[in-house]
Amino acid sequence: MSEVEIEWPWQYSFPPFFTLQPHPETRSKQVSAWKSLILEYCQKNRLFIIDVREAHQLPLFHNSSINRKLDPSVIISILSELSKTGNAAALDKPRHRWEVYWHTLEEWASMIYEYVCDSGMQNSVLTLFELAQGDDVQGRDFAGIHTDVLIKALRVLESERKCELILSDEDQGVKFF
Amino acid sequence: MRRRAGLGAIQKHKLEQEKYKDKGNEIQENQFEQMTKQLEVFKVNLEEFATKHKNEIRKNPEFRRQFQEMCASIGVDPLSSGKGFWSVLGIGDFYYELAVQIVEVCLATNYKTGGLIGLSELRSRLIKARGKGKQHQEITQDDLIRAAQKLKIFGSGFTVVPVGKGQYMVQSIPGELSMDHTAVLQQVTHSNQAFVSVGYLRRELGWEEGRARKALEHMVQQGLAWVDLQNLQEKLYYFPSLFNACIDSSSDF
Repeated sequence: MSEVEIEWPWQYSFPPFFTLQPHPETRSKQVSAWKSLILEYCQKNRLFIIDVREAHQLPLFHNSSINRKLDPSVIISILSELSKTGNAAALDKPRHRWEVYWHTLEEWASMIYEYVCDSGMQNSVLTLFELAQGDDVQGRDFAGIHTDVLIKALRVLESERKCELILSDEDQGVKFF
Repeated sequence: MRRRAGLGAIQKHKLEQEKYKDKGNEIQENQFEQMTKQLEVFKVNLEEFATKHKNEIRKNPEFRRQFQEMCASIGVDPLSSGKGFWSVLGIGDFYYELAVQIVEVCLATNYKTGGLIGLSELRSRLIKARGKGKQHQEITQDDLIRAAQKLKIFGSGFTVVPVGKGQYMVQSIPGELSMDHTAVLQQVTHSNQAFVSVGYLRRELGWEEGRARKALEHMVQQGLAWVDLQNLQEKLYYFPSLFNACIDSSSDF
């Protein structure tokens, strides 16, 4: 995957940024900066999943120019903080794989439904493929959204009675109301 | 630099507000309580208030300190009340304006640096903020030192710390910086690399390990230094206030 140019904040070139700080106030600033950086990086690179076991392959968690890496256990605790605000979710029990929601599921749901209304698509059925990859959605923020994340966002709409998911072995689609 | 932007910066930085609010009321509780009640009204009538209490402000350093801290915690800048107030306290316009701007820069950068800023960094930021007119460019280091020292009438809130070789740092969050800590800052400044270690201090200052470690750990606890555990030789202590990318950055996080 080609890397998108990201403007790294000053902390990224600061070696201690990659060590969990012992002083509570400093740690709090550090975690806050990491949370913002992770979301920004994922958004810029359209990254929906982080596997902590492979985290060091991402420049995000490994700044080779200063030879510093963020410890996986620290990555997990920061992602846990992000999950408290609906910005991440662990996918497995050992918490190695995480979905990252730079838009929360509610925000994704809202964007998708707005598109549906704008295009007059209530009461029509769309395949999930069309919804994520179709020509008509290019330019929308949710274009290229990961299928699993899309389904979760649609479940939010389902709970609001704005759509109904139609999932079978052959087809994956959704009807909007 | 617009004063309004400065007030916004004061109000934004919760960390500083909390520190000011946490200051003890042990001393002069009655006067303090009286002042708090009056503060509601005095936002508009600052000069009247200051004139009324000018004797206390002039004579009593503790009263001055609490006066400043309370103003800061409600986002009021006592230094912008006009010439009358300040000529009473014997400070010229030029230094008064400079002092206000120093406070603004410190408050804007404290969340990154823990309350310390190098004087030359301070000067660069001030020159950038003051504007392009020639009169704004000729701010010398000496001007800043005088202006910063005027702020000392507010007690330990602002301190100018010499770090040797004609260099200075301004400390704007009250804290205990002993001679040893000052010596550490000197070493960091002269190393030109924003970090030191126990080994470095032992070599350069001839200190025992315990003394070096204690000084460095204290500065970590003051929020002035961050630790780096990924150096192969030893634990490193970095100072954001002396790390160029930090001082130069204008980002909010």
